[in-house]
Amino acid sequence: MLPRRFCHCHRARLQFLSTRLIGQNVSGDQYDVIVVGGGHAGTEAAAAAARGGAQTLLVTQKLSTIGTLSCNPSFGGIGKGHLVREVDALDGLCGRLCDQTGIHFKVLNRSKGPAVWGLRAQVDRLLYRSAMQREVCATALLNVREASVEDLMVEDPDASRPGLARVTGVRLGDGAIVLGRAVILTTGTFLSGSLKFGTSSVPGGRLGEAPSVGLSLSLSELGFTKGRLKTGTPPRIRKESVNFDKLEVHHGDERPVPFSFMNAEVAIEPSQQLLCHLTYTTPGVEDVVRDTLAANDHVQQDTKGPRYCPSIESKVLRFPGRAHQVWLEPEGLNSELIYPQGLSMTMPVEAQVALLRHIPGLEAADIAAAGYGVQYDYLDPRQLHPTLETRKVQGLFMAGQINGTTGYEEAAAQGIVAGINAFLHTRSLPPFTISRTEGYIGVLIDDLTSLGVTEPYRMFTSRAEFRTILRPDNADQRLTERAYHQTGCISGARVVTARHIASRLSEGISLLKSLCLSSYRWKQLLPEVGISQERSGHMSAFDVLQYRGVTLDALAAVFPQDLVPFLDLSDRIQVEALYEPHAEQQKLDMEQVRRDEQLVLPTDLDYLHLPASLSIEAREVLHRHRPPTIAAASRLPGVTPAAIMHLLYFLRASGQQKEAGGPLVER
Amino acid sequence: MQSAEEDCNAEVDPLAALLNDSVPKRRERIDRDGTYQAKGAFLRYNLLCNHFDQRQAHGVFETAGRLPSPAELTVWERQEDTEMDYGDLLAVFKPRHFCSVPPVGQGHTIFALSSGRGKCGVAVIRVSGPASAFCLCQLTRMKQGLPPPRTAVLHSISDPNSGELLDRGLLLWFPGSLPGLRPAEAGEFTRRAFQAGKLDLTEVEGLGDLIHAETEAQRRQALRQMAGDLGHLYQTWSHTLTRALAHLEAFIDFSEEENIEDGVLNQVDNFVRQLQMEIHSHLHDNRRGERLRSGVHVVIAGEANAGKSSLLNAICQRPAAIVSPIAGTTRDVVETALDIGGFPVLLSDTAGLRDTHDIIEKEGVRRTRERLEQADLTVALLDVVGLLEASNKLTHLLFSFLEDLNVRQKQQCILVLNKIDLLHKKELNDLHCALKKEEDLPTVCWLSCKTGSGIEEFLRVLRAELEILCGNPLLGMPSLTQARHRSHLHKCLEALGLYEYYKRADMALAAEGLRSALASLGRITGKVGAEEILNLIFRDFCIGK
Repeated sequence: MLPRRFCHCHRARLQFLSTRLIGQNVSGDQYDVIVVGGGHAGTEAAAAAARGGAQTLLVTQKLSTIGTLSCNPSFGGIGKGHLVREVDALDGLCGRLCDQTGIHFKVLNRSKGPAVWGLRAQVDRLLYRSAMQREVCATALLNVREASVEDLMVEDPDASRPGLARVTGVRLGDGAIVLGRAVILTTGTFLSGSLKFGTSSVPGGRLGEAPSVGLSLSLSELGFTKGRLKTGTPPRIRKESVNFDKLEVHHGDERPVPFSFMNAEVAIEPSQQLLCHLTYTTPGVEDVVRDTLAANDHVQQDTKGPRYCPSIESKVLRFPGRAHQVWLEPEGLNSELIYPQGLSMTMPVEAQVALLRHIPGLEAADIAAAGYGVQYDYLDPRQLHPTLETRKVQGLFMAGQINGTTGYEEAAAQGIVAGINAFLHTRSLPPFTISRTEGYIGVLIDDLTSLGVTEPYRMFTSRAEFRTILRPDNADQRLTERAYHQTGCISGARVVTARHIASRLSEGISLLKSLCLSSYRWKQLLPEVGISQERSGHMSAFDVLQYRGVTLDALAAVFPQDLVPFLDLSDRIQVEALYEPHAEQQKLDMEQVRRDEQLVLPTDLDYLHLPASLSIEAREVLHRHRPPTIAAASRLPGVTPAAIMHLLYFLRASGQQKEAGGPLVER
Repeated sequence: MQSAEEDCNAEVDPLAALLNDSVPKRRERIDRDGTYQAKGAFLRYNLLCNHFDQRQAHGVFETAGRLPSPAELTVWERQEDTEMDYGDLLAVFKPRHFCSVPPVGQGHTIFALSSGRGKCGVAVIRVSGPASAFCLCQLTRMKQGLPPPRTAVLHSISDPNSGELLDRGLLLWFPGSLPGLRPAEAGEFTRRAFQAGKLDLTEVEGLGDLIHAETEAQRRQALRQMAGDLGHLYQTWSHTLTRALAHLEAFIDFSEEENIEDGVLNQVDNFVRQLQMEIHSHLHDNRRGERLRSGVHVVIAGEANAGKSSLLNAICQRPAAIVSPIAGTTRDVVETALDIGGFPVLLSDTAGLRDTHDIIEKEGVRRTRERLEQADLTVALLDVVGLLEASNKLTHLLFSFLEDLNVRQKQQCILVLNKIDLLHKKELNDLHCALKKEEDLPTVCWLSCKTGSGIEEFLRVLRAELEILCGNPLLGMPSLTQARHRSHLHKCLEALGLYEYYKRADMALAAEGLRSALASLGRITGKVGAEEILNLIFRDFCIGK
């Protein structure tokens, strides 16, 4: 299927977001896909569905907040950079926009191997937001409406698919009903959100914005299981009040690496990049935290917060007696604000001021906006299919923080998958899912839907089993072509670029493999490389490239005619060479996982009374999690390999087991 | 066990005999136990221990004072493919009483194995009668008296004489009679224990070994593994490795943005080095555990007509091999499975090594050499008369003989000098003195298969050697018992090597090494998931932006 973005009338295009928009009071408006929320999940979801060809409506409480970075002014990082690359490979927005609006680019983990490089950028908050708004406006078939969504409209389910109901649209705050064949909820922290300052608590999803209470209620009525999570954000500090003189300076990369496969370079001049600064907490910080503990409800309550992005309070309480890092990050080219990464806190504002006094460089810091905590409802993501459609309500999708994740990148990744699948759903086309063996997005969604969350979920490279294959450099080769064929949500330009790179990569690699010389000759040509004396026979240039210190440039000096044309791909070819010796084993393991993923478990299995030899513990775990496949079941804690065997035996014996797309064939 | 139960003779109360310290030790007793008072008791005792086998059956025959006839052996051999019918065996051998124990109290106290026959995982032993309570106390050494009635109690069961642990089991005490009680089905309890997560994989394997344990030492090792010694060792390694991986993963995922303490990588290096050393030495235990599990290969070899077959017959106390004065009588390998001092032994008699034109004998010699290649212990047999004749080049002769037998280490060999009855005392003494000077010789045994002199001493030496080869299963590091473990541990070591190779070049590949090492260990102890790694990371490090 070809993308249809170029052949559609532009129904109600946004010119400027400040202007009033479409069909304000027209009740009974009908769309293919309705996206609720304009954050990182919502924008990617809406854009993806529209790219596919769905008439899409994005409903947001405030048009001007579309694309807001509510917390840190940065994108990417270790593991998260992988997600941005994969979203970009699926023709998403955030990677390209970061390249346009980034003000400090840095690849983390440079010394640790390309598989775990973490692409990261500080972005200009305002530039990013307006770039996102422009992008949303410019997307064909994508309409935007300012309203709050109060209720979901549902009807009897389509009997041919699992589910208890089918979504038909949403009811807005003004009572208007908008019909949609699919609805994607990306409400972030707004579901019954409440903001915490010291001992006071205000309903809200973000500072100055009202929570979604009605929607939270209607989800409860539909029978969704909810939980509560908390997170926090640091105070914003006025730049001129910071004394940078004695702080450690961190520069951006001299050669910034763009996030997007469509960009050869980023917008900002490398030399124009802004600086980051590093400072540390002192023992005085600990004292302030302890002294104000009584006035700090957020920290005292036992709602689950993230362990890896904790407030300064929980850091000093859990690991006392240490100096904790504080990164001072610029908020934008013209911004007067500094974002103190690592200082998320919820104590009363006067205590926040007192605390900053104990941090070098921030002794005279002036707080422009105090730090605060947010508590919000999330829906247990085990209620979702891997397409992010809910199991209970057909056509209803969820993406982002509502599923218990944290982070812009995690939200964007879910958004694009939900958007693509909502589009496919409206066309009754087969769903598009990404396996753990194909991408971090697959790992993310599989972890969410099979294990659920107990704290805000963040991506780490350690979560990916096939880390040396799921690299940031090859995300386009892993995802673009397949997504293009199966979804139609990928633009033509994108797939052409990916194909071009694919063919040149394989051409370059086979050329390198064909350039064979005796190892003696290689030693002569590259005397500084430690090619082993004992090694006899011939070696290809590709083999030689695996040696430490050998670059494609060095080889191109030996074979200029052959290799110079591939120098623009030298980074990618080099990474391929480095990991190739391990690819074989990994591919075998991936095959095993893929096979297990094909073994679909019936959703209606009564694990508690299954006549199979399963331990009580395994039964309860399976009953609680209802893993969709054998692969998911085998990752559940408490489900032993023996339990998996018994489960397989039972399913085979009873003929209940189906493979995706057909009956089980004996393997 | 219907038939056996019927056969259980009322006059003898074997359990009472087993428990009665005052019963004098008798010559007929086999091995360490003072319990084989009668065949019926013996069979039952073996059933109780779950390790009834051919050699012990022979023990029965020997206790009965004669060797089995071919017909009787047929009864035994049926057991190889079908289940042994103990009733039949008992029918062949009408019990003869070596002693009679006076009944305790008024009625007799009887006991019987109520569960499945043969090798099985679960044995239900029913003891009934006035002395039952006494038996229970003796077997369990319960200080505080009997367990509460009708309540199952997990307890160790020990030999009342030596106090050595025999097994662990559930005790159920029903005062009064037991009308209509049906014992549990065989295997039911084990399976449930496994499924309830009470046993880990190594423990289950240990149980398998216990079920198949054929000798005392094997049983002890199996019991030890089941108690989790081996599982505990692997578990410890798995924890160390998980920790190492968690630290490396933390370094990959967090070190640039967070202050992960310096020296984290050094710590990982230390963890890995320590593991490599421990696994390496565990793997290089000279296959002690596996040997104990599958049997030690002892090969008797030497020149033709030196008396190898006679020695074999002397060891197993039956004419297992044909013996004649003609050189080259044994042309093929004669193999016998034996229990020597509690250790399982596969004893092979081989064709004498000599140049020959006889095609069959030539093949025999080839097989001998093949056997010697696989031998754990070689019994090198020499005719002492030949030695006397060559007394001037004694050393050379002995060493070239041992070399010919493929003996590379003196520890793997016992040198046996046969036919000492043919020598005068003085000649013997001279030889003794001559050999004493040679320090590089293996242990030397002087004996005569004909007169039997020196055989006892030889058996003592053999036992000592076996103990070294198998290790004392109750001491030191638990031994490797399964080839499966060995292969996973090898893979684990290989993967740790990958870490070493990449640790300074590419962290992702180095971590890959640790991951696959952990996966290999996990195949023994159970999987370690990403979530556990993360839990460790957040426990050990302050990650926070």
